[in-house]
Amino acid sequence: MISREIAWRVFSGEYNTSNCELKGEGERSPSYVITPLGAMINRLFVVGVLTDIENLGTEGEPFWRARVTDPTGTFFISAGQYQPDASLALAKIKPPSFVAVVGKSRTYSPEEGTVYVSVRPEKIVEVDEKIRDYWILETCKSTLRRLTAAEEARRMETPTVEALIKLGYSKALAQGVLKSIEHYDSVEFERYRDMIADALRYLLPEYEPEVQETPSEMEIGVEEPDENIDKEERVLAIIDRLDKKGKGAPWDEIIEEAGKEGIRKDELEEITNSLLDKGLIYEPILGKMKRI
Amino acid sequence: MPMEDLKPHIKEISQLIGGKVSEDEISKELDTYLKVYRVPLETAKKSIVRKYGGNPSLVSRGQKKEISELTTNEQSVDLLVKVVSVNKREVEVDGTIKPVLYGVFADESGAVPFTAWEADRFDFKKGDVIFIRNAYTREWNGQPQVNLGNRAVVEKKDSATVEISEVEVPSFAESVQAKVSQLKDGMNNVAITGRILELEMKVVSTPDGAKPVTSGIIADETGKVQFSAWHDFGLREDMVITIKGAYVKGWRGIPQINFGQRADVTEYKGSFPAADVLARPAKRTIEDLEKIGGGIDVLVSGVVVDIREGSGLILRCPKCKRVVQKNLCRLHGSVNPEPDLRIKAVVDDGEGVLTVIMNRTITESITGISLNNAMRRAKEMMNPLVIKEDIENLLIAHPVEVSGNVTRDEFGLLMIASDARLAEFDIRSEATEMLTKLEGMY
Repeated sequence: MISREIAWRVFSGEYNTSNCELKGEGERSPSYVITPLGAMINRLFVVGVLTDIENLGTEGEPFWRARVTDPTGTFFISAGQYQPDASLALAKIKPPSFVAVVGKSRTYSPEEGTVYVSVRPEKIVEVDEKIRDYWILETCKSTLRRLTAAEEARRMETPTVEALIKLGYSKALAQGVLKSIEHYDSVEFERYRDMIADALRYLLPEYEPEVQETPSEMEIGVEEPDENIDKEERVLAIIDRLDKKGKGAPWDEIIEEAGKEGIRKDELEEITNSLLDKGLIYEPILGKMKRI
Repeated sequence: MPMEDLKPHIKEISQLIGGKVSEDEISKELDTYLKVYRVPLETAKKSIVRKYGGNPSLVSRGQKKEISELTTNEQSVDLLVKVVSVNKREVEVDGTIKPVLYGVFADESGAVPFTAWEADRFDFKKGDVIFIRNAYTREWNGQPQVNLGNRAVVEKKDSATVEISEVEVPSFAESVQAKVSQLKDGMNNVAITGRILELEMKVVSTPDGAKPVTSGIIADETGKVQFSAWHDFGLREDMVITIKGAYVKGWRGIPQINFGQRADVTEYKGSFPAADVLARPAKRTIEDLEKIGGGIDVLVSGVVVDIREGSGLILRCPKCKRVVQKNLCRLHGSVNPEPDLRIKAVVDDGEGVLTVIMNRTITESITGISLNNAMRRAKEMMNPLVIKEDIENLLIAHPVEVSGNVTRDEFGLLMIASDARLAEFDIRSEATEMLTKLEGMY
């Protein structure tokens, strides 16, 4: 059975702390981001405030980057020509506004051991505050369910998927929790419990929004992916420049040119891999890179 | 071979030749064949049967098996068993009423249900140990069932010779108690209590000829299920019954219960939810439906995460109602198509996914877009696809409650909605309740 991946409800405060990607083996098998609480995310459903949006591409070939904020942090959204529906929607929406995003999990590893996660949207629609509040409540519930499952699993002598299913957890969650235990040595459960409580307080009438200027851990990470996008743009420009005959830019020359711009070879490899991944470039013949 | 052991063979021969000669006579003849001519037993038996005009091919091949070794297609098998239970019932065969015996046999290896078709020929009782020759098996609920037909010969043995496992027998005889929501394709010998909400008598053709069947819908507090009763149990609408010995077959993932003559159906006298309560769709999670495969008239809640192609303003062939492209019907060629509204929504609750098909009436009520308005807008925008976009903007990210029948195919679960609405929610009270619980956990 070809089953559609479920859309996980997860706060940015949980999603962005993930540094584990489970790469699909084989052609069609999906990749997943495993969060510390055991969400096994290929697709996710997010509702928040679209705070800013920029086009890093051209008018004809836009590449959108946007930020969507929830009570716990910020989701990074990027969409290009392979996300026509989402790109079209992003071209129309004016920030700030409430949006709902259904999208795929993406990762970016500029260096070994560092993983940045973002969302590649399939659908973006404008919604109202009620829908955003509903999402927060639903996400609180599902985060708490994960937290409880993960805590219970870590208390087990030998945690298994079957044991968690017996306790009433869904199969998808049970599998995710097991994967999270393999990858994350320890999880600060209290931090996530506080996060849920804060998100709940956000929904209540007595809640008074406090002006908090202390940037969270997540927001510090913001600049990095931006910078990488910037570098990706520069590499794309190099490829364009070197591709004189329309048959692709020779790899050696790309390394040389990138070096002049201060991009090291290992970094360049990461960037081109990411561009290949995104479908922005391809390798027409071995040793040449070409824009799609 | 001692004379004693030949007895069943003599009986068998006698039966095959219709009692034309006395058993003493047969005994003597058989003795001659075996002792004087030293031919094998089977050959001897066949020769005698042939001689007196019987059919020699019916002679036992004498294959002895244990119950656990039985397949569902034994042609002729010998068994040494203990009679665990035996009951008599009258059945109608070709217009005449005949008594049959049914019950359970057991040996060391297991237990098996049986039917003996000519009750008058057999006189074994519960607790007897018997040796059966020339039984055959048929499949019943996927399991072998032993049949004693006109060739079968039964001989009583000393009770001490069969040790039956005490564990095996009750597990066979006892039905598994289940609620409607637990029913799953392939379940056997299920006991279920429910109220009959709908009832219909019909006659279906089977390989054994036309059979009357009572079918309908039975419900408990966990949901509804279709049933087929292959025997007249005197069922009435609104009756609450307990069925023991039903089995479950799936149809496109939807479990359905079947029970026949062998089932035990009794009227349930305890208190049970009223028909109007049971008539409401039963709430189920998508994951639950995924595990089971489907269900009828279930209520599911989730969020719309996608609107599939083929949603919005569509055109149908006026004759066959198929969706047409460019005014061309696959079956009827060039047609003047009729406009219609439809939604194929993907509903996701975070643990499972379901595609929901909504017809025009439901589409109009959930989106507030009428067919006329949709046509006007499509004309204005010169693009019929704009309606799908409108629907996406109206429904994506919205929590919905949908009810209908859910089936499963290779693409996953599919619901044909009978009702769909945007869900109502009270965020503050739920958030307060959850926060209180959470703070209690510190």
